Amino acid sequence: MTEKVKVRIDGEVISATAGQTILEVARANNKYIPALCYMEGLTSVGACRLCMVEVSGVAKLVPACTTPVQEGQAVATTSPQLDSYRKIALELLFAERNHVCAVCVSSGHCELQTLAQEHGVTHVRYPYSCPRLPVDTTHPRYVLDHNRCVLCGRCVRTCAEIEGAHVWDVAGRGITSHLVSELQRPWGEATSCTSCGKCVQACPTGAMAEKGWGVEEMTKHRTVVSRLTSMREGS
Amino acid sequence: MRIADIAAFAAVREAGLAKLLPSRPRIAVGMGTCGSGNGAEAVYHAFKSAIDRHGLDVQLAPVGCFGFCAEEPLVNVWAPGRPLLMLRRVQPHHTDAILDAIGHGGLPPAETILGKIEAWDHLTGHIKYGSGYPDVPLWSDVPFFHGQVKIVLRNCGLVNPDDIEEYIAVGGYQALYKVLIDQNPAAVIEQVKAAKLRGRGGAGFLTGNKWEFLAKAPGPDKYLVCNADEGDPGAYMNRNEIESDPHSLLEGMLIAGFVTGARRGIVYVRAEYPLAVMRLEQAIDQAREYGVLGDNVLGRGFAFDIDLVEGAGAFVCGEETALIESLEGKSGRPRTRPPFPAQRGLFGRPTNINNVETWYNVAPIVSKGPAWFTETGSPKSAGTKVFSLVGKVQNTGLVEMPLGTPLSTFIYDIGGGGTSGRDIKAVQTGGPSGGCIPADMFDTPVDYETLAQLGSIMGSGGMVVMDADNCMVDVARYFIEFTHAESCGKCVPCRVGLDKALRMLNRFTQGVATQDDIPLLDELCRMVRDTSLCGLGQSAPNPVLTSLRHFRHEFEDHIVAKRCRAGVCQDLALSPCENSCPLHMNIPRFLQLYNEGRLEDAFLSVVMDNPLPASTGRVCQHPCDNRCRRAGIDEPVNMRDVHRLIADEILLSDRFDAVVERVRERRLEPTGREVAIVGAGPTGLACAYYLALFGHSVVVYDSRPAAGGMLRYALPEYRLPKAALDREIELIERMGVRFQFNVDVGNDISLNDLAHQHDAVFLAIGTWKEGWVYLPGTELTGVIPALPFLEAVARNDEVPVGSKVVVIGGGNAAIDSARTARRLGAEVTVVYRRERRDMPAIPEEIEAAEHEGVRVAYLAAPHRIVGDKSGQVRALEAVRTKPGEFDASGRRKPVPTDEVIRIECDTVILAVGEKVDPDFCRASGLTLNEDGTMVVDRYSLETSRERFYAGGDLITGASNVSNAMGYGKKAARNIDKRLMGQKRFAQLLPEFVYSMEPPESPAEVGRHTPPEAPAAQRVQSYQEVSLGLTPVAALEETSRCLRCDIRSSER
Amino acid sequence: MDKVKIGTCWLDGCSGCHMSLLDIDESIVGVLRKADIVFGPLVDAQEWPEGVDVAVIEGAVSSQDDLKLVQTARARSRYLIALGDCAVTGNVPSMRNGIPVRKLLERVYVEGADESAGVPTDGVPPLLRQAEPIRQAVKVDLHVPGCPPRPNAILMVLSELLEGREPDLGSKLRFG
Repeated sequence: MTEKVKVRIDGEVISATAGQTILEVARANNKYIPALCYMEGLTSVGACRLCMVEVSGVAKLVPACTTPVQEGQAVATTSPQLDSYRKIALELLFAERNHVCAVCVSSGHCELQTLAQEHGVTHVRYPYSCPRLPVDTTHPRYVLDHNRCVLCGRCVRTCAEIEGAHVWDVAGRGITSHLVSELQRPWGEATSCTSCGKCVQACPTGAMAEKGWGVEEMTKHRTVVSRLTSMREGS
Repeated sequence: MRIADIAAFAAVREAGLAKLLPSRPRIAVGMGTCGSGNGAEAVYHAFKSAIDRHGLDVQLAPVGCFGFCAEEPLVNVWAPGRPLLMLRRVQPHHTDAILDAIGHGGLPPAETILGKIEAWDHLTGHIKYGSGYPDVPLWSDVPFFHGQVKIVLRNCGLVNPDDIEEYIAVGGYQALYKVLIDQNPAAVIEQVKAAKLRGRGGAGFLTGNKWEFLAKAPGPDKYLVCNADEGDPGAYMNRNEIESDPHSLLEGMLIAGFVTGARRGIVYVRAEYPLAVMRLEQAIDQAREYGVLGDNVLGRGFAFDIDLVEGAGAFVCGEETALIESLEGKSGRPRTRPPFPAQRGLFGRPTNINNVETWYNVAPIVSKGPAWFTETGSPKSAGTKVFSLVGKVQNTGLVEMPLGTPLSTFIYDIGGGGTSGRDIKAVQTGGPSGGCIPADMFDTPVDYETLAQLGSIMGSGGMVVMDADNCMVDVARYFIEFTHAESCGKCVPCRVGLDKALRMLNRFTQGVATQDDIPLLDELCRMVRDTSLCGLGQSAPNPVLTSLRHFRHEFEDHIVAKRCRAGVCQDLALSPCENSCPLHMNIPRFLQLYNEGRLEDAFLSVVMDNPLPASTGRVCQHPCDNRCRRAGIDEPVNMRDVHRLIADEILLSDRFDAVVERVRERRLEPTGREVAIVGAGPTGLACAYYLALFGHSVVVYDSRPAAGGMLRYALPEYRLPKAALDREIELIERMGVRFQFNVDVGNDISLNDLAHQHDAVFLAIGTWKEGWVYLPGTELTGVIPALPFLEAVARNDEVPVGSKVVVIGGGNAAIDSARTARRLGAEVTVVYRRERRDMPAIPEEIEAAEHEGVRVAYLAAPHRIVGDKSGQVRALEAVRTKPGEFDASGRRKPVPTDEVIRIECDTVILAVGEKVDPDFCRASGLTLNEDGTMVVDRYSLETSRERFYAGGDLITGASNVSNAMGYGKKAARNIDKRLMGQKRFAQLLPEFVYSMEPPESPAEVGRHTPPEAPAAQRVQSYQEVSLGLTPVAALEETSRCLRCDIRSSER
Repeated sequence: MDKVKIGTCWLDGCSGCHMSLLDIDESIVGVLRKADIVFGPLVDAQEWPEGVDVAVIEGAVSSQDDLKLVQTARARSRYLIALGDCAVTGNVPSMRNGIPVRKLLERVYVEGADESAGVPTDGVPPLLRQAEPIRQAVKVDLHVPGCPPRPNAILMVLSELLEGREPDLGSKLRFG
């Protein structure tokens, strides 16, 4: 038995199932809320904070990806403040590492790049960090470029929740947080990696890519994860 | 001994009481981490060996801390029937005297006595110690404790934390027993709700409601967690609570366990608290042994146990969801809520987390009821909160105060105000993610809502006091550095936003930020605050946001003037002395040049920074002394007297002409620009000198017949011989400056005329209008204002001074007047309404005046001047005052008493402050402030009228010579920049080559102070009092300099 | 009416943005009816002239010479455009930023050279510590990202400015 609730998103009354998150309900009804760490089929973690929305009666902004809808709720998906904050979040991601779109395999197919364009980010106002970061090319088929990683954790959850291998995790803390494979071993030496490549498909940027592609050539199959979960639910 | 019934419980209680109030004397040493760090262990062992050695019948016990950190080690001594004596700063050598005293019913050494306790309300029980010691103040009358209400800290420092029997003796576990007997969990939850107890971890959520959520959650597996992961720098209340009274924590958790249906409790303590961990482990063991914890608590069939888990010290684990992750063995990163811990917490089970201090309030609420609890505190925030008061206050320590107490009570009444008389600037509440509240808002009540309105938080109760030595930009930078390093890295705003905020703040402290950075930083911090995942990120920007709100001018100083007034940001200062000098003299340079035996170079160095070196060498307030790092070793370098000697050696010798030529060589090409300066005082002279060096044509107008202003007409000859001043003015004149004396600008020539004839005008008239107070009798003959009096003496005019003189005031003009009147043969009394330390006059001058026989009546507020029938002054009546509350200036307000004192006299000199002449300012047509000073741009010194600049006392009100000259110098730089379109100041300075090697071992001699003429002799004449340093002493003084101007990169 | 004066220059860049500017093809005729290009790679002027209305700068600020040129351009121009990713983000030139300049030069001119190994000093401007976006050096009025920005975007920006309007880039442009 599923309980139905009615919510209002950007003024439109929408019927939803109790337990669904604001983001799920919005997307199912063609209301766009930007998000980077969210991926259909994975547990939501609320890390990128791009999906923050305003909810009437709640003083704080809330993440749409982890907040369940409630009867009578009124949600605003955009406002000048939300736009400004999303823009800052995107600028921060560009300034954190070395996102050189001009020479990236994922340019033109990158979620970060697209989000920046959608939000009118023409430049970054904060000082670039320009860290020196490694590129792990030890895997025979895939490559991990830390310069392009936004730490959304989609690869971590895909590997742990869908493939069940849990090769990936995040080590360090704060600004030194970074992706690690299997007890800090190089990816190519990670014995638990099944080389299924779902992490690569889940990655929103050019941080994970198949080997052998040039600039702008790496396109990804974003729906791999959601198709798998829905097939499993069906079985 | 297992407690299985009431009788057993009572027996344990009796056993405990016998330890707490034995039939023999008891000595308890405060052995928290704070006490131990100050030598309490040694004191404890000294007592122990003395007791053993003499075979004394004295009981010795360790206790926790009573909270007065500044006075550690604290020791309590008690003899049967007498009050408990609190002793402070007890050292091992005191032990014999203390033991001897209590053995004979006497008092321990006076310097150790803090106060006495006759009876103590442990809230769950009551202890009566006894009476006596009439001369010792009650503990609650000791200023640090006055107003404190000890609910949470009810047992701290009084009972032995290692002994469950002592805890039970003061009523411990009785509340638990009652709850177990009553068997009505819902009623207990209602009590806690009615008490409006709010979480003491910082967020302030209602504890009763949280318990109710947990009680309603289904299933048998529920957890109670105590958050003892106290990670705020400067906060240590939780550590002290656990170290001093671990059983109160256990009792709070046991009660909550019973009423919420939880069967397991976990205390998450940071591993950096080894003593707290040890004491808590011991308490848990004892509680199990006595049947207070375990399968059958107190024999009532209730099962509850508590485990202790040590945290690895991540600040973010203070965030409850991160703490849960950590307890589960994962890395401590917070989860999003919902689901809330009460729904799905530890291992997916319903969980309730409370801060240490919250648990300590439980037993008293159960014992005494919610109505009693809400009597204390404010309507929305009931009860008390423990604060750790640290930073720039005299008394530091743990302070438990009712919520809603104003900040001023903490800082001035309990904290005792600023250290060494400095002005307090701000207080930061709530730990590293709290906000900074400025001193003018210290009437703010401390409760959750009000602090939040001001952009700060209650947090865990940290309270860091800051004074003028703290740079608010650096403070903000420091806290962001902390939170940025402690960010877990999960969410973007906190991970990247704080990193960028830190980079931007570094740009401020390095002086490379721009005006655009202020709004950019502000917006970034709002974004981090509003979108971060957990409390760490949401509150981390508070120090920046509040500093930007309340101390924006400090950020602007770092951008526009590239100055850090506090002298903290090293990239913006050559050395602490240079930064504190209003003229920004390169002090280490002239000290080193003199040290290398290069007198002329040293003089050139001095005079390029300061055209009146002999005068300032005598009368400057020497702020450099307060900053000198040498003071950390012994005493500050006597920089002022060295530069006086350098000046005298050249100015008053035949090398003068040669050196004047060297200064003239520095002049830039003539520019053809003309500048008028109004006022030939120190401000005007400094400006004229630099403008002439820049190559401009300069005319200085003054209404008096000679140059020097206050230096000539207000400073007595015995402080500043005019021969030195004349030489300085000659030097300035020889740079090409022209003077027009006896010209009254405004009357003889209008400002408009000046504007037409010159490219720029600089206004530098001083504060010649004497202040006047409302005081009955000021119309009497014999009442004279200080400045005309001093001027008349300086001009050798006839001065109508009688034989008995009273001077009213406490500034330099008051002391100068008193000492001058003394030289005219009068008996002199200075009347000042506050205490000596509050006097604005230079301390050395007050001391010299007293040596010369000037009497000073402190704490006396003039009330009226009494005259006779002929209208002649006969006496001054003053009301005796006593120091009262602290006012906004951080000084104690003088409060009148009933006592009136009468001082017979025939002359009264009023030295109650000087003001800008309002008529001149009004006539100038320029915009003025409410107090009559002129409005100028803070950085350029330009007035409301283009090309008109102003500086010195005219814009600040009465100040001092060096400040005034600093404005003159700054104005010259800005006028030149305006006239020539570029910064040219650096072109003036010659290049000096001198040693840039840090001294390997600075001279180990103490500070040299110049000898003075004998007091008896000097009151007979106007001969100079200070005789100056000898060249040998000066040379030695220069080698005391630590050379803070040398950076490691230059080595 | 006087024609609008446009100055262009490239700093640390590949000239691709200037190529893209030329790729507006015949539209350049329309632009030049209303504007003169008074400084740029195809103009004889040796020094950035006074009184420029629009400065169009390509490339990152990478050397002392870049810094001086962009500062001069800023001081002498009313409106300044950072054209292309190098000018806007640092882009490819900034990929050296994590490496100390000395090591960088040694890697290229000493380790990477077969003969006459040595870091050149004559006739080449000293490198700055990092290659920075233009906005780190001077105030920028408009950022036009892209590697290179598309010709029609450049044309739109110039046309709007020539009409006296502030160009609204909206969501038309992206990095890369």
